Amino acid sequence: MHVTLSVWQALLIAIWVALVESRILGFATLTMRFSPLMTGMMVGFIMGDIKQAMIVTAAIQLVYMGFVAPGGALPAEPAIGAAIAVPVALLGHMSPQGAIAIAVPVALLGSYLYQFRFFLNTFALKPMDKYAREGNARGLRFSIIGIPALISFVLFIPLIFIALYFGAPVISGLVSNIEHGTIIHVLNSVGGGLAALGIAIIMQVIGKKRLLPFFFLAYFMSVAFAKLEINMTIYAIFGVIFAILYVMLSQKNASENS
Amino acid sequence: MSDNPTVEATNDEPQATTEHRIPQPDALTNKDLMKSWFGWWWANEVPHTFDRMLAPSFCFGLIPSLQKLYKDKDELAKSFQRHLLFFNTQATWGGGTLTGVTLSLEEARAKALANGEEPISEDMINNTKVGLMGPLAGIGDSIDSGTVQYIFIAMFLPFAKQGNFLGALLPFLCFAIATFTYGYYFTKMGYSLGRSAAKEIMTGGRMQGIIDGLGILGLYMMGILAGQYITIRSFLKFSISGKVFNVNTILNQILPGALPLLAVILVYWYFQRQGLKITRALLYLTGALIVLSIFYII
Repeated sequence: MHVTLSVWQALLIAIWVALVESRILGFATLTMRFSPLMTGMMVGFIMGDIKQAMIVTAAIQLVYMGFVAPGGALPAEPAIGAAIAVPVALLGHMSPQGAIAIAVPVALLGSYLYQFRFFLNTFALKPMDKYAREGNARGLRFSIIGIPALISFVLFIPLIFIALYFGAPVISGLVSNIEHGTIIHVLNSVGGGLAALGIAIIMQVIGKKRLLPFFFLAYFMSVAFAKLEINMTIYAIFGVIFAILYVMLSQKNASENS
Repeated sequence: MSDNPTVEATNDEPQATTEHRIPQPDALTNKDLMKSWFGWWWANEVPHTFDRMLAPSFCFGLIPSLQKLYKDKDELAKSFQRHLLFFNTQATWGGGTLTGVTLSLEEARAKALANGEEPISEDMINNTKVGLMGPLAGIGDSIDSGTVQYIFIAMFLPFAKQGNFLGALLPFLCFAIATFTYGYYFTKMGYSLGRSAAKEIMTGGRMQGIIDGLGILGLYMMGILAGQYITIRSFLKFSISGKVFNVNTILNQILPGALPLLAVILVYWYFQRQGLKITRALLYLTGALIVLSIFYII
């Protein structure tokens, strides 16, 4: 089957990416961002080859299995990776592994685009504060949802469209050149290190220094038991037990002292 | 929560309720709770900024309920403003529960204002919200995005591998429906919990135990995530008289996982000294990571 990418197809994919990355479809877009699956499906649907698109996307998904964004900082945007890599793979009849090599760097770059959105959203704060002061519910609603959504659309649609329509053939050539270079190393290191930010934010927001030993306990548990591949639910159960024990013992002490 | 400057700034002036009569609030119904939960769910990450994080979305959800509670224009405007201050949490465990708790506190405040009684202060509402948001986020991040999401993806991945679009659609639908449903359940639970706890929150007591317990669980889950998701290792090598030493191997012999932990401690230490300046911390951390990785130190 010969697959092509017309202006309209590139535009539709770009609009889909903007819908996902603007988060305008509600909280559940979380899994559309963290997982490339829905984007891969839409690309297959738009380009008329769902079967191959799903096979390629499944391979990309394996790279991002278990990916989380503690405190909101996601080190890569798998959805953006898939939006570029799946069309390129379909156009060039590439193997799923070849598609991964494109998706990973593009997703890393995509995460900076997503962070850039947070800066641009700051423009919506001024009207928000103004409408809140006036008690204007309609204006407040618009400035909370409307303005940021508009910003995301203006940011993502042209960029993704250009990358797809003009860039897709170039990208596949380019990526094979930088695959093992310093650029990818830097992007990987920054992505891997930024998770520290979200975690530190939550630690600061919890704001109880005397409870910090529980953070260190958990950290070294997860480092020490890494090879056991303990499920997150089991860890959560440990956490609940520690919390209950602490509260029980500290309240018992308090009542004995009084 | 004294180390959060944006929240500290909202000092409550004493209420002069005798000047003009404040109308009685309408009672909140399950429908209002659903509206507020849906509003928060929908706006969730749309207006995300580094300064306020998700506060505007939280406010967005509360708007219809606040309109029923505060018929007085000034009080309504004040309630909008206090919910636009810095706020960040996870959507279902944090945001659902806190939407409910906050609405119950706002309702108690609105009633007291209308009856000319001593109301729950704005500070009290903010402190409750801010005290619980971190712990609940720590729990929610690990459970929703770390576990629930990947259970559904893993369940249906075989479909995707065979080229079937259900491999994408089903995990999304399951995740959307499951999180929406239990998030609404948390909203209702938070509301009834807040109603019974409103008095206790004002006097302290048992609430301190709950906040401590959730704080422990939140910090604990962050420790687990830090251990699993921060990937910083050293690529530094040096040789002494022909023998090559790999810094990462040496570090792992002294203390496994030292570098990721160091990164968290440095950012946390920065927040302790400078307050919660997220944008700056982001820039410094990114800059440091770029410089270190260009020279293959990490």
